[in-house]
Amino acid sequence: MSEKEKDGFYSVYEVFSKKTDKSPLQHQFSLLAPNEEMALIMARENFFRREPVADIWVVKRDNVRVMTQEEKEMLKRLDDKDYRETKGYGYLKKKWRKYQQEQFTEKNLLSSSKSKGGSK
Amino acid sequence: MTIETSFDQLTEEEKYEHFLARIDAGEKIEPNDWMPDDYRQSLIRLISMHGISEIMGALPEKEWVPKAPTLHRKLAIMAKVQDEMGHGQLLLRVAEDLMEPLDMNREDIMQNLFSGKLKFHNVFHMKAPTWGDAGIIAWLVDGAAIISQSMMLNSSYGPYARALKRICAEEVFHAQHGESIIMALAEGTPEQRELLQDALNRWWTALLMFFGPKSKENASTSHVDKNMRYKIREKTNEELRQEFFTKYVPRIWSLGLTIPDETIHFDEEQGLWVYQDPDWNEFKEIVTGNGPQSKERLELRKTSYENNRWVREALNPAAKAI
Amino acid sequence: MAQDKALVELLYTLADDDFILAYRGSEWLGLAPHIEEDVAYSSINQDMMGHAAKYYHLLEELGEGDADELSHLRSPEKFRNAVLLEEKNGEGTYLEQPQYDWAFAVVRNYFYSIHKKFRMDSLRQSSYEPLSDTAKKVSIELQYHLMHWETWFKQLMTSTDEAKRRMTAAVERCWNEMGGVLSLGPMAEEMAEKGYIASEETMRTKWLDHMKKTFEQIGADFPGELGMTKGNGRQGEHTEDLTQALETLSEVYETNPKVAW
Repeated sequence: MSEKEKDGFYSVYEVFSKKTDKSPLQHQFSLLAPNEEMALIMARENFFRREPVADIWVVKRDNVRVMTQEEKEMLKRLDDKDYRETKGYGYLKKKWRKYQQEQFTEKNLLSSSKSKGGSK
Repeated sequence: MTIETSFDQLTEEEKYEHFLARIDAGEKIEPNDWMPDDYRQSLIRLISMHGISEIMGALPEKEWVPKAPTLHRKLAIMAKVQDEMGHGQLLLRVAEDLMEPLDMNREDIMQNLFSGKLKFHNVFHMKAPTWGDAGIIAWLVDGAAIISQSMMLNSSYGPYARALKRICAEEVFHAQHGESIIMALAEGTPEQRELLQDALNRWWTALLMFFGPKSKENASTSHVDKNMRYKIREKTNEELRQEFFTKYVPRIWSLGLTIPDETIHFDEEQGLWVYQDPDWNEFKEIVTGNGPQSKERLELRKTSYENNRWVREALNPAAKAI
Repeated sequence: MAQDKALVELLYTLADDDFILAYRGSEWLGLAPHIEEDVAYSSINQDMMGHAAKYYHLLEELGEGDADELSHLRSPEKFRNAVLLEEKNGEGTYLEQPQYDWAFAVVRNYFYSIHKKFRMDSLRQSSYEPLSDTAKKVSIELQYHLMHWETWFKQLMTSTDEAKRRMTAAVERCWNEMGGVLSLGPMAEEMAEKGYIASEETMRTKWLDHMKKTFEQIGADFPGELGMTKGNGRQGEHTEDLTQALETLSEVYETNPKVAW
């Protein structure tokens, strides 16, 4: 059994990790391994022997659908979609001022409001 | 870079123009992107040599791993040589992905190494007979490596740039590990200082050679030019060597060590270091596998690779299925 | 606390076991069957040598001498490691023609790690507090070693005929010396009585139970009686292999132990 065969001992596994419980999963590097158990134990020390890590995923590369350069062209779009961005709603600031109210920003919309009374 | 029609419908020339425009705009090329064949070939040549040099580079230092003088030194040099293997891993993965469309993998890389087709850096063909060599390798060879690697941190090839970023971060540990060893020797007994000076004498020429020849007659500078056009690298061999002098010569002198080149000095007028050029024919001999320790190192790598083949065969999923 | 011979002997046992096996592991650096594995294995060896250093420091605190001297300059008969752990990785040396045996590396490390786990479980309750503190720390890193070696052991034991043949030979070889690893030497009873560590018998039973389960799980024949054919390292009996190891590992240090390196 030659070591050249594509699905042999030298199969490519992509490695993902989370730095802490709260971190998003991030792609790291890739390694060669004969199966996913081996990929996992080797990933641990090949990529996280210094930095903290809270979780590791390994995925056989054959199971990842990647994009060609042609397909990446479909990721582009025009910058004309103000209607789904907050910048399309900036005029409200002036409107609210008329009613002696402030326009909510992202910050006070997302944080639980500490009641400070109504108007300023 | 936006193109107006489908990428696949472009002519080869248009694709090439588009590729150069991307590079000039500072975009990163990724493995599945279109790339001209000579860009792929340049990368394979450069990165497989870089990667296998890390793997071969583990060997001179590993000679000192079991012998390192104290518990702390044993631990530190193990970690250092482990990193070299790790860097080899990162780089070979980049090279292997580039080779995949050519139906080649790590097995081919190893076989090319054994047959002499794939070369490794001149410094790793040298003998490392004392603990002083372990210090000089970590201090100056790694110092030289940091200089030549950091100029490629902005490489146009994304995976290479990302691998180098991680590698350079670890190299900082290596440099300090090296400084720590040589500092102890430099501040030690006359015998310890002698270990250090002897090692410096042994390694100096190899260090100059590490950056490659400067003049066109001497080397494949066409590779250098091409790699610069493709934004794989940013500086010439000589620029790198000068950087090395600027960084390290004053430090070597400050420790009271002697550089085995009486001519070396900084020429204020030219703004350059003047030095004794090494014998580039010797360099060619070394990198083509005729260096002082080339055969032994290759033999060691080959023995371990072949001796353990049964392990890789045993875990080959294709073998298990039968 | 007054010098307690049983405690000192136990600490040497713990220190020397980890130190010598880590040393043998460090010879493998750069020569493992796979680059990725080389990196992983080296971390384990660093961990183990780090554990050894912790025990040597405990001995230092007990007035036994400097940790580097203890690890590098004692004569072979002063070492308390088990003979199995000092044995060469295979024919040749790490510098020349290393015909190293990966099956032996896997089995030896797997058997030892399982024993080390039961050891740590017991030492975490040790009556000697500095030792129980150390055991708590060592246990954390040991988790990875266990997972790593168990994966290798089980996969190779259930793969090709050639691998099974090599693994079975390595199992037999390790089994014949494993008695020495499980031994605590002439002071075993006193160590247990003073609450430093569980009795030899307890740990031996636990190890054997674990192995029975493992062998059953992978459908391999369970070997017979454990042996100790080449001497008991706990009472200073060793092979030429240890002499060679100590010569190599102290080559630089012994040129001048008084100076900083």
